Amino acid sequence: MNKHFTLSGIFQSKVTWAVIAEALILLVCFIIRPDFFSISYQPSTGMLYGSLIDILNRSAEITIISMGMTLVIALGGTDLSVGALVAVAGAIALKFLRWDVLTYNTPGDYTVYPYVLVLVVPLAVCALMGLFNGFLVAKGGIQPIIATLILMVCGRGVAQILTDGKQFTTGYSPFRIIGQGSFLYLPMPVVITIAVVLAVALFTRKTAFGAFVESVGVNSSASRLSGIKADQVILIVFMITGLLSGIAGLIYSSRIMSNDSNNAGLNFEMDAILAVVIGGTNMAGGKFSLTGTIVGSLIIRTIVTFVYYFGIVSEATMAFKAMIIAVVIVLQSEPVREFFARRARKREARLERGAA
Amino acid sequence: MMTNKQSILSKLTNPKYIMVYATVGIFLAVYAFGAFAYADKGFLTVRTFVNLFIDNAYYGISAVGMTMVLITGGIDLSVGAVASLTGMFIAYGTSVLGLHPLTCIAAALVMGISLGLLMGWVIHCLNVPAFITTLTGMFFARGVCSLISRESIDINHTMFDSLASWKIYLMKYSAGKWVRIRPIAFINFNVILFLVMIAIGMFILQRTRFGRNIYAVGGNEQSAALMGLPVGKTKILVYGFNGLCSVLAGISYALYVKSGWNLSLQGGELEVITCAVIGGTLLTGGVGYMIGTLFGVLLKSVIPALITFNGNLLSWWGKIATGLLLLIFICIQRFVVSSSSSRK
Repeated sequence: MNKHFTLSGIFQSKVTWAVIAEALILLVCFIIRPDFFSISYQPSTGMLYGSLIDILNRSAEITIISMGMTLVIALGGTDLSVGALVAVAGAIALKFLRWDVLTYNTPGDYTVYPYVLVLVVPLAVCALMGLFNGFLVAKGGIQPIIATLILMVCGRGVAQILTDGKQFTTGYSPFRIIGQGSFLYLPMPVVITIAVVLAVALFTRKTAFGAFVESVGVNSSASRLSGIKADQVILIVFMITGLLSGIAGLIYSSRIMSNDSNNAGLNFEMDAILAVVIGGTNMAGGKFSLTGTIVGSLIIRTIVTFVYYFGIVSEATMAFKAMIIAVVIVLQSEPVREFFARRARKREARLERGAA
Repeated sequence: MMTNKQSILSKLTNPKYIMVYATVGIFLAVYAFGAFAYADKGFLTVRTFVNLFIDNAYYGISAVGMTMVLITGGIDLSVGAVASLTGMFIAYGTSVLGLHPLTCIAAALVMGISLGLLMGWVIHCLNVPAFITTLTGMFFARGVCSLISRESIDINHTMFDSLASWKIYLMKYSAGKWVRIRPIAFINFNVILFLVMIAIGMFILQRTRFGRNIYAVGGNEQSAALMGLPVGKTKILVYGFNGLCSVLAGISYALYVKSGWNLSLQGGELEVITCAVIGGTLLTGGVGYMIGTLFGVLLKSVIPALITFNGNLLSWWGKIATGLLLLIFICIQRFVVSSSSSRK
């Protein structure tokens, strides 16, 4: 525990830059419109409202997925299949709510199969698909980006075939709670996100699992020699990511109360990877920061909210997002961080000389 | 004379070409399956074969640049968005601004190549992962597309129309004169551009210093740098060349659909990467051949053709079949790599 909190050390940390970026974006929001931070309570729904709550609520899916993605990237890989798994989870859930279209051709407050199955089966299938990815990586020795490309390419096809290419809608109220309900004044997706973050954080930081992941990410054969079952670690990490994609899929489909195999989870893999990298986890593997990832995910969502809130033409969102992310990435890049760290070191040296 | 023949034979049986042979073999097998199953529906005709090129030329053109990027050990996710932006340039320029298509194409070329060079510079000099850099490039290009217009714009220009409808009919010699073969088959500008780009890519990779540098950088970047090879220049130029290929693919796609749309070719980058991977290019870098990519494109495009000929299957089975194909290829690659490393 001999961490020295020196200025140069702080400037060298990527998480610092992510927090600075998020603070700057929020500051700009506040300057342009001071009521950006206002939060109000709506007694009829029992929920808090406000742009900050909205950012937390809308970033739920990406934050949940990127918790798993952080672990995958810490292993030195990437998981491209998460977006497709979001679509698969939605398709299965809606199929179980509305299995027999002929008998139940109008969406209403009912479920055809027990509600437990509606929730458990999609999660189980997604976890199995994650396990399939993990199997290819761990046992087949295939590069993660390629191994997960397979499910990314055919996952949406599977989702479409499961529902015969149809889009179902439902009105089942317990299902609505997942994406639109509230708990303790907070929107349900935020509550689920907090639960997931706590679970992953406890699992990785309070057990040795996090250290195993980092060690496999740095050098998998060395960690195997030191007694870590690298294969098992990889399998578990990919299974967790699959499971979390399933949870995100249930939230997504509960928000729209429908399955949308074409658009559900579209580009989620990209946003999740971005969130992790902005959050300071190196794509080459090794150390990971869950806090950084949460900040990364919030940055991505804040940019989008910013664009909507200030009435910038919504078509510009993508270009705007690209430019801010480009700035963050350049600020985080090695030469720039080195530059600031060197200046800070010089100042520290000067101070020390002054003290002596 | 004899030794010459032998050397050609030993060149062809070199184990480094095994992935290319696997691609060609599986393509022939799938094609033969189609020939047996749907011969009565005309699967065997020249037209079906030529249509594989016509319908997928834009993916093929982009795959030329992508193969090179993958050989250096990088990746480029921006190709679909840049191609789509090229289409928007041409559509908006000719139909709304009234510019000549060549002006628009020139502007698109400048845009694509400079974006590619910029991304290469960020990847090499700022040491940002290629995945993240080109992903940002993709967001940027897609965003500019949507800024230009959110609706599809038709392209109406006499020169552009004549280029799009220009075609060479395939002829055969019968009864003392040349006649068009039946059912009528033709090749168009896109097919020629595709084949020319494949030839250029082959030439660059096999016959130029730049090509050898690409393999060296992908094989082991550190050793390449220690040998004094221009690693940075090679990497930056490869992304620039890929930008050029994306723009050409965008032109080809615009000729194919005669319109520009901000959401066109969404996910195209992964189609292109899939083509290169089933063509035998390794994503770890250092391995890949242009001829493999050519057959990769053909193999990927023959599957939708088979599903169309079947007529009863949902088109979604195409995606699943492509996924399975990827799985098969990855397993073969894995097998080849492990057997060749155990030989050492």
